Amino acid sequence: MAKEVFMPKLSSTMEVGTLLQWFKEEGESVEIGEPLFEIMTDKINIEVESYEEGTLLKKYYQLDDEIPVNTVIAYIGEESEAVPKDPPVGNDQEGSMEERESSSTTEATETESNVKESQSNKVRATPSARRVARENEISLHSIQGSGPKGRIQEQDVAEMVSQTETKLSTPLAEKIAKDKGINLHNVQGTGSRNKITKADVIGHDTASSDEPERIQLKGLRKAVAAKMLESARSIPHVTLTTDVDMTKAMEMRQALLPIIEEQTGYRLSYTEIIMKTTAHVLGSHPYVNASLIENEIILNKSVHLGLAVAVENGLIVPSIQHAEAKGLAELTVMSKTLGKKARNNQLTPEEMSGSTFTISNLGMYAIDGFTPIINPPETAILGVGRIVRKPVAIDNAMEIRPMMVLSLSFDHRAIDGAPAAAFLTELKECLESPYGLLV
Amino acid sequence: MKSFDLVVIGGGPGGYAAAIRAAKLGLSVALVEGRELGGTCLNRGCIPSKTLLKHAEVIEQIKESKTYGITVNDFSFSIDAMVNRKNKVVNQLRNGIKGLLRQNKITLFNGYGTVADDKTVTISSVNETQKIQAKNVLLANGSTPFVPELPGLDTISYHTSDTIFDLKEVPSHMVIVGGGAIGLEIACIFNSLDTTVEIVEMADRILPNEDADASDYLASQLEKNGVVIHTNTKITGFRNSDGHIIVDMDKQGKQQTIETDSVLVSVGRTPNLTGIEKLSVQFDGKFVKVDKNMGTSAPGIYAVGDLIGGYQLAHAASDEGIRAINHIVGIATNKEAIIPRCVYTFPEIASVGLSESDAKEAGYAVKVKKVDIAANGKAIASGENRGFMKIIAEEKYGEILGVVMVGSHVTEMISQGTSFMHLEGTVEELENMVFPHPTISESLFETAGAWLGKGIHYS
Repeated sequence: MAKEVFMPKLSSTMEVGTLLQWFKEEGESVEIGEPLFEIMTDKINIEVESYEEGTLLKKYYQLDDEIPVNTVIAYIGEESEAVPKDPPVGNDQEGSMEERESSSTTEATETESNVKESQSNKVRATPSARRVARENEISLHSIQGSGPKGRIQEQDVAEMVSQTETKLSTPLAEKIAKDKGINLHNVQGTGSRNKITKADVIGHDTASSDEPERIQLKGLRKAVAAKMLESARSIPHVTLTTDVDMTKAMEMRQALLPIIEEQTGYRLSYTEIIMKTTAHVLGSHPYVNASLIENEIILNKSVHLGLAVAVENGLIVPSIQHAEAKGLAELTVMSKTLGKKARNNQLTPEEMSGSTFTISNLGMYAIDGFTPIINPPETAILGVGRIVRKPVAIDNAMEIRPMMVLSLSFDHRAIDGAPAAAFLTELKECLESPYGLLV
Repeated sequence: MKSFDLVVIGGGPGGYAAAIRAAKLGLSVALVEGRELGGTCLNRGCIPSKTLLKHAEVIEQIKESKTYGITVNDFSFSIDAMVNRKNKVVNQLRNGIKGLLRQNKITLFNGYGTVADDKTVTISSVNETQKIQAKNVLLANGSTPFVPELPGLDTISYHTSDTIFDLKEVPSHMVIVGGGAIGLEIACIFNSLDTTVEIVEMADRILPNEDADASDYLASQLEKNGVVIHTNTKITGFRNSDGHIIVDMDKQGKQQTIETDSVLVSVGRTPNLTGIEKLSVQFDGKFVKVDKNMGTSAPGIYAVGDLIGGYQLAHAASDEGIRAINHIVGIATNKEAIIPRCVYTFPEIASVGLSESDAKEAGYAVKVKKVDIAANGKAIASGENRGFMKIIAEEKYGEILGVVMVGSHVTEMISQGTSFMHLEGTVEELENMVFPHPTISESLFETAGAWLGKGIHYS
C-alpha cells in the first residue's frame, strides 16, 4: 500500500508551504531519512526528509506551488503500485479544508449569479495549470476553466497558449533567448511574417537593460515582507534610544576574550555581552519579555533571545533558548553557530521559533540609532549601533569614551513608555558596569 | 514635360532590377540607359566571362579526356566562334531585360541622363535631347575599369575587361596587371586557350581580400596549370620593342622584365560619374555617399551599385536597388544583406559572411573548421576532388558567421551557406539536415559535423 507524503506543518503559524525543489524524480528509490523535497515556510526554507522507503511513485506539485499543510503531495510505495492520478483531498486537513469549503461555496454562488472570477481575485486552478500559466505569462483570469466548479485545468491553459499567436523565431534567436533567459513571447519579430531574429532578441535584451530589474517577491523575501508589513501595520511602535558608555564592557571583553577563545575556539564579541546583559535585565522586566497574542499579554518566564541575521535575500531570526541561564562562553558558541547555520540555510524550525525578545545588531556599520521593527508576537526589540569614540562630559571634564547607541522599539499596546524606559535605563547601567552581572 | 515617380539612371543589375520592382509596386518608372541594357555585368563582365570560362572548361575536359578513357585525337577552337557565341548569349539576355521592361510598362530612354538637383533628368542621345521630371531618382551609373597611371602605359596598346572579351586573336603571351577576381578569371580563360599567362599583383597574395587559404589554394592550382604569379610586384614601366611589349617590374626589390604580346589591366573599377557631375550629392572618397536606405545627401535621390563602392558585385547592386525602392514606397528593410562572393576560376571560390580574422575582430569567439573535398565521393567520380569547405562560426551558439568554399561548382553551393546565415540556422541545424549522396555539397555537411566534433568522415 503506497504511503502518502504530506506537506508538513512545521510551526504553529504555518498554513502553506512553497515547494522549492524535489530531490527525487518519479520512479527513483527513496530511503528513510533521505532528503525528499525542499519547502519554504513563512519563516524558513527547509529540506524535508522521507519517513518512508520505497519508490517515489507520484509527485503532484511543481516548483513554486503553494501547498496547504497536510496536503498529500506525493506517494511512496512499491514500484508499479497504482496511485491516484490527481492529488487526493485528504481527510486530516481540518484547517485548510474549511478554507477550501468556504471558498468553493463563495465561488459557487458567484457562478450562479453570473459574476465572473475577475471580480474576486480568487481563481480556481490546478497547480499545474498555474505553473503552465506562469511559464507562458498568461493571466488565469482570462481562462475559462473546464474542471469541476469551473476549476482551470492544465489543458485549459495549454489551449489558451496555443490560441495566442504562435511566434516564429530563427534557431539562432531561440538559442540566444534561451541563454539570456528571454521569453520569446515578449519579443517583437521583424523578420518575414514577424519572425523573431537574432537582432530582435539582442535588441530586446539591450532595450530592456535600460529598464529596472524586476524581482518577483517570493521565497524568503516574500516571508520577510509579509512579516514586516504585519508588524508595522498592527503594532504601535515606539522607539527609545540611549547612549551607553562601553568603556567597562570593552575592558571586560578584553579580559574574557582569550579565556573564551581558548575554551571554545570562538571569539567573544560585543553581541554576546549585550545578549547576556539583556537576558539578565529582562529577568526583572517581564513586560518587555512578553508576547502579545490576540487579547493576551503573556509574560514569559524564560528569556529566549532572537538574533536577527542577515542572509542572502532576507532576514532570519534564530533564537537562543534560556539565554538568561547561559554564560558568555556558551552564548558565544551558540550565536556563532546559529549565525553560520542561518547563513547556510541549515536552521531547524525549533532553532527559529519561540523567541521572546530580539536583538538586531547593526554595529558593524556606521549606524548609531535606528527604529527596529518588532518580531511579533514579541513586544520589544533592541537595536544595537556601533561603538564609536566620542567626547563626553565626565564629572566636569571632557573625556573621550567608546559610546554606543541602543534603540529599543516596544509595542505600546503591551508596554507603556515608563516601564520601557526603565528597562532601557537599567540595561544601559548594566552595560556600563558589567561586573554587576556577576553579583 | 513628362513626369515619373521614379527615374532610374543606368540599366545594369542595380538599375533594371530596381526599375522592375518599383513598377511592380505601382510606381511610374522611366529607365535611362546610354549604352546596352544589362550594364557591365551582362555586356562586359559577368556574363561574357562566364561564357568564355565555360568554353575554357570544355577545352580543359577535352585535354583531360584521356584520364576518363576517352581519346580525342584532334581538336581545335576558333576565337571568332567563341566570341560569337558569347555575343549570342549576351543578346539573348539583353532582349530578356528589354522584354521585362516592356512587360512592366517601364519607359526606356536611350541616351545619357544628366540629373539636376530639382530631379529633372535631361536625356541626350545622338539626335535629340529631352527633359523629364522625376519624383525620385535612382543613380545606378555603374563603373568603368580603373586604369592607373603606370609609366609607359599610354604608349602601348592594352586591354581592360571592356575589350578583352572581343579579342580577334588569341595572344601567345599575356601579362595581367592585378590579381583580383576579374584578372584571375581572365587568366583561367586564356590559360586554357594556351596563352602563357603571367599575373602581376602588388599585394603579397592573389585575391588579397578573400580567405587566405582559398587564395593560396587557387594560386597553387593556377601555378600547376602553368600560370606564372608574381606577388609583391610593382609594374615600373611598359615599353614597345620590336612588335612586343616589355613590362618592367620591381619584384620584391629586384628588377625584372617580361616580354609579352598582350597586357590586361584589371586593378579595380572606378565609379562612372557621367551625368551627375553637377549634382550636389556628397561623396565618400570617389564613391557617392549613401545611408542605409541608399539615400544620397540630396533628398529623393538614391544611389546604388558600383557608384557607391562596397562589394561592387551585380547581386549587391540589385539588392541595394531593391532596398532603395523599398524606402521610396515605405517598406522597411531591417536586415543587413548577406552578400555572397564568387570567383569563377578553376577551381571556383565562393564565400559569404565574415572571414576568420574579421569575425575575431568583430569580437566573436570564433571556431573554424575546414574539410577537404579530396575524399568526397561525387567529386572523385567526377575527377573534381580539388578544394575545401570551411565554416567560420561563433562558438557559443554555433552562429554561422562565414563560409568559404573552394572547388568545382562551389558557386552553385554557396547559397546553402547563405541560406543558413540568412535564416539564422546554426551549425547544429546544418549538421542535422540531410544532404543527398553523392554530392559535392555533402562536404558542407561534413564540415558542420566536424565543427561539432561529430563528423562521420572527418573530425
